[in-house]
Amino acid sequence: MTVQENGSKPIIQAQALSKWYGQVIGLNNFALRVTPGITGIVGPNGSGKSTFFKLVLGLIKPNAGSITVLGQRPWKNPDLHSSIGFCPDYESLPADSTGREYLTLIGKLHMMHGTALSKRIQEIVKLVEMGQALDRKTGGYSKGMRQRMKIAGALLHDPELLILDEPLSGTDPLVRKDIIDLIKRLHKEHGHDIIVSSHVLFEIERMTHNVALVYMGRAVASGDISEIRNLMDRHPHNIIIEGERTTALAKLLLDQDYVVSVSFNDNKNSVTLQVSKPEDFFNNLPTLIDKAQCSVSKMYSLDDNLEAVFRYLVGR
Amino acid sequence: MDLKRVLDGIYALTLHSTKKLLFGKKAIITILVALFVAAVMGYAGSQSHNPLDDGTNLMDTLILFFFMPVMAMIFGSSLIRDEIDDKSITHVATAPLDRAFSYLGYYLPLVIAVALSMVAISSVGMVAFFGQHGFGSETLEIYLEFLALVVIGSFVYSSLFLAISVLFNKPVMVGLFYAFIWEGYIGSLPGAIQNASVKHYLRSLGSGWVEFGDISRWDQASSVWGSAALLIALAVFLLVLGAYLFREKELA
Repeated sequence: MTVQENGSKPIIQAQALSKWYGQVIGLNNFALRVTPGITGIVGPNGSGKSTFFKLVLGLIKPNAGSITVLGQRPWKNPDLHSSIGFCPDYESLPADSTGREYLTLIGKLHMMHGTALSKRIQEIVKLVEMGQALDRKTGGYSKGMRQRMKIAGALLHDPELLILDEPLSGTDPLVRKDIIDLIKRLHKEHGHDIIVSSHVLFEIERMTHNVALVYMGRAVASGDISEIRNLMDRHPHNIIIEGERTTALAKLLLDQDYVVSVSFNDNKNSVTLQVSKPEDFFNNLPTLIDKAQCSVSKMYSLDDNLEAVFRYLVGR
Repeated sequence: MDLKRVLDGIYALTLHSTKKLLFGKKAIITILVALFVAAVMGYAGSQSHNPLDDGTNLMDTLILFFFMPVMAMIFGSSLIRDEIDDKSITHVATAPLDRAFSYLGYYLPLVIAVALSMVAISSVGMVAFFGQHGFGSETLEIYLEFLALVVIGSFVYSSLFLAISVLFNKPVMVGLFYAFIWEGYIGSLPGAIQNASVKHYLRSLGSGWVEFGDISRWDQASSVWGSAALLIALAVFLLVLGAYLFREKELA
């Protein structure tokens, strides 16, 4: 699987990568090639995104296969950490330290000192808009502030590659917008290559068109997001329609070439459809409802959650 | 290997962890232990007719051989495991510093915190006991000898409990077992079995220095220098073992 196949040298290359924890499989024969830019890693919770990041950072070692990051193997390679900034999806800030103490520790671990370090801290907190809270204990930060401070920690040593694991998780819409804007700015104005994960496709779409879909420990699709959307559209979508006289509507729907199957649910006023071209279905539906003289009280897709879409992609 | 980067990294971690250990929640335990020691030794001092022997015996049994391993266990046995569990270890694990050296950045602050706590507790005990009988040159000698023993004990016990912190998933349970059952009970049994405790060699070392109390009459298992060499070798072995295990450890 290749993200942004443009001939650039890959920043990450994983081949036949597998990682398991006892009976639990984290990654299974995972293959991915990531080239410079912003790359989104999308997958439901527990799909293997965080395991992939841990392998990228050398926090765990692969059971099989290989991975190179910026041309180097990450396991037991601390020098590589000079070139990577990591913002984890979990709470990692020491609650009893202030933001400044936290950033000072990170800076010193990266050989930054004195006025150069103080200056860099000021630059970074300005960038993530955390200047006001720098001397407050991180334990008192809001979720959005903690995310910003973690991003500041990841950026402090000006790494070539920035890894952001679910940076939008648990944040409110305003903070989400700010963080998305920040991520785009970090690439556009500061030149960082960024890998950002999420379990929400549309959030990633707002940051980049290069995505890799991860499901059940495998990279099931990758490339431009429009190609992935086309790929998804080739698979039938499940839609439930509830209302009155749905039998008449079902008869009409059966004649449409984009309807794969129609089945009645226990409640006779409820119909489940399998639709191959959702766009055509939604465009024609008002006409068909009118023709069938039925009234629709409720309509919803069973595939709104990402998990269902992934199940299609892996053929389950 | 960039030596400057290694030294800078160790220094930064040492500074951070020392502050956390000395001014964190565990500092309250040091204060409570010091108050307890002050009460016990203060009362014993008021009842003592042979202060040099009685005071030395209390420093020996209460501080060196009871609170010394207990305090090292409290500070050390969960130091790394706690950071692994609450994931605050991420900034260390993703720093450009070999984890074997990061381990030193945990060991040094642990030694500093344990030694300072034990020096404070010992000083409180000395003042509470000998303050009632006056401080002479012999008292000062006993004080300095015990300070030397608690500092040596800090190096050895810290290496032991920090290794436990990396080696086991439930290090506090193992630490409690070691501090109370092994050091506290097995180390006090008659016969050769007590040679398998750190406290035996600390006591052997002390018997060559201290001239009062039961410790001065301690039947040495080996010479003073032999005990010192053994304690140093044990501390170095445990430090290297712990650093190796930490380097190889997956932080899932």
